[in-house]
Amino acid sequence: MDVVGFWTRSWISDDRTAVRRLLAPDVEVEWNLDAAVDDEELLQVQHRIAAFADTVAVLERTTADDGAALIYDLVAPFGRARMVEFLAVADGRITEVRQVYDVTATDRYFPGLYEN
Amino acid sequence: MSLPEVHLVGGTCADAFRLAPVAVAMRDQNRLRPVLLAGGADPAAVTRTFAAFGLTPEVTLPAAADRASAIYRLDQLWAVRTPAAVLVRGDDLAAALAAYWRRIPVVHLDAGRRTGWLGAADAADADRRLLAQVATVHLAATPAAAMNLLDEHVVAGDVLLTGGTAMDAVRALDPRRTAENRRILVGVEAARDEPVSMAARELAALYPDLDVAAAGPLGQPERIRLLASAYLVVTDDEDLTEEALAANVPVLVPGPGGRLAEALNAGAARLVEPVADALVAEVSRLLDSRVRRDAMAAAGSPYGDGLAAVRVAQATAALLGHGQFPEPMPARPTAGVPR
Repeated sequence: MDVVGFWTRSWISDDRTAVRRLLAPDVEVEWNLDAAVDDEELLQVQHRIAAFADTVAVLERTTADDGAALIYDLVAPFGRARMVEFLAVADGRITEVRQVYDVTATDRYFPGLYEN
Repeated sequence: MSLPEVHLVGGTCADAFRLAPVAVAMRDQNRLRPVLLAGGADPAAVTRTFAAFGLTPEVTLPAAADRASAIYRLDQLWAVRTPAAVLVRGDDLAAALAAYWRRIPVVHLDAGRRTGWLGAADAADADRRLLAQVATVHLAATPAAAMNLLDEHVVAGDVLLTGGTAMDAVRALDPRRTAENRRILVGVEAARDEPVSMAARELAALYPDLDVAAAGPLGQPERIRLLASAYLVVTDDEDLTEEALAANVPVLVPGPGGRLAEALNAGAARLVEPVADALVAEVSRLLDSRVRRDAMAAAGSPYGDGLAAVRVAQATAALLGHGQFPEPMPARPTAGVPR
């Protein structure tokens, strides 16, 4: 199964059930947003993006033996922001999610994205 | 004990031109082992650029058609040969992402250049902002570039004003003036090609002693040799502008010149409306008055003082625990010597 492809389709379509199923129980999550992160915070932010964005597209995907690197284009009503995501995959589950946001554009076009 | 290995990633000829003096400085300082990588869309051209400095890349990657394949090739390399740090330059997001993926520290040369347009049209700035988020150390060529990084909430302690290394590269190649005729070097994006070509034809008719050459197809060291002999450069390209100013040649910029604020503020570059009549008028003013042309050139380059490569090498070594971080470049332009 294309775990990475399923992951992107699931969170972009705001299917949190599918996203939870893909995450390993001990998944490690990192991001460069100015907020603490764990799997629940990650799901919350993904949900907010999926709900608020006009479109979310995978611009590029680089596949390695143990994961993938993805570049997303997050298109909001008044502008767009890029996000890079590094995934580690083992035994059909995602064991690591590292996200890098264009923080300047994200703060401007997705206000309140990571507020609690 | 072997020295830490640092990979300098040359994705374009412009990258290689600016990384070459850094490799030489690293070798001279003997704290790091620089390893040159030739990659990108045309690794052969990158290799030729390194060769102009007497350097040979230790690793040549297959040509990458797009960024995803560039990331893949670098990831394959660094999975088996992991450097202590990776040095990337300018817009090389692919190399920075590949290094970040493997948790290799990223040193970013020429960090912080922005147009200042936070809009959908400027994907290049979006890539640069992403690069700033994955870099460990940000080496800025100008104070304005350093301020751009601070505006994006990059930690101030991770930013160092080193200057740009194009000046170092020009001095290393030491090109000699050879042309008898006056020469204008041209390098503009496709959208401005027609008015610039029209202006070039008109100028050639007005000034029989004038040569007009295109910078686009040239690699190094041919481009620097032509620049050393140039009377003037007409370009909207950042890299060509920086090289021209390093060679003490003034620049006319057709268009808004968004990424050339430092050069425009220094006075060595001037904006001109991108239509044939305006281009002919402005170029003619400079052709008709050597004093006016030399006054522009005397403003010098705001992008470096010829010591950037030493600072970059020292900063990279300090990041890896070898020595101290250097003092920043003095934040004032270097006056040029008009020819």
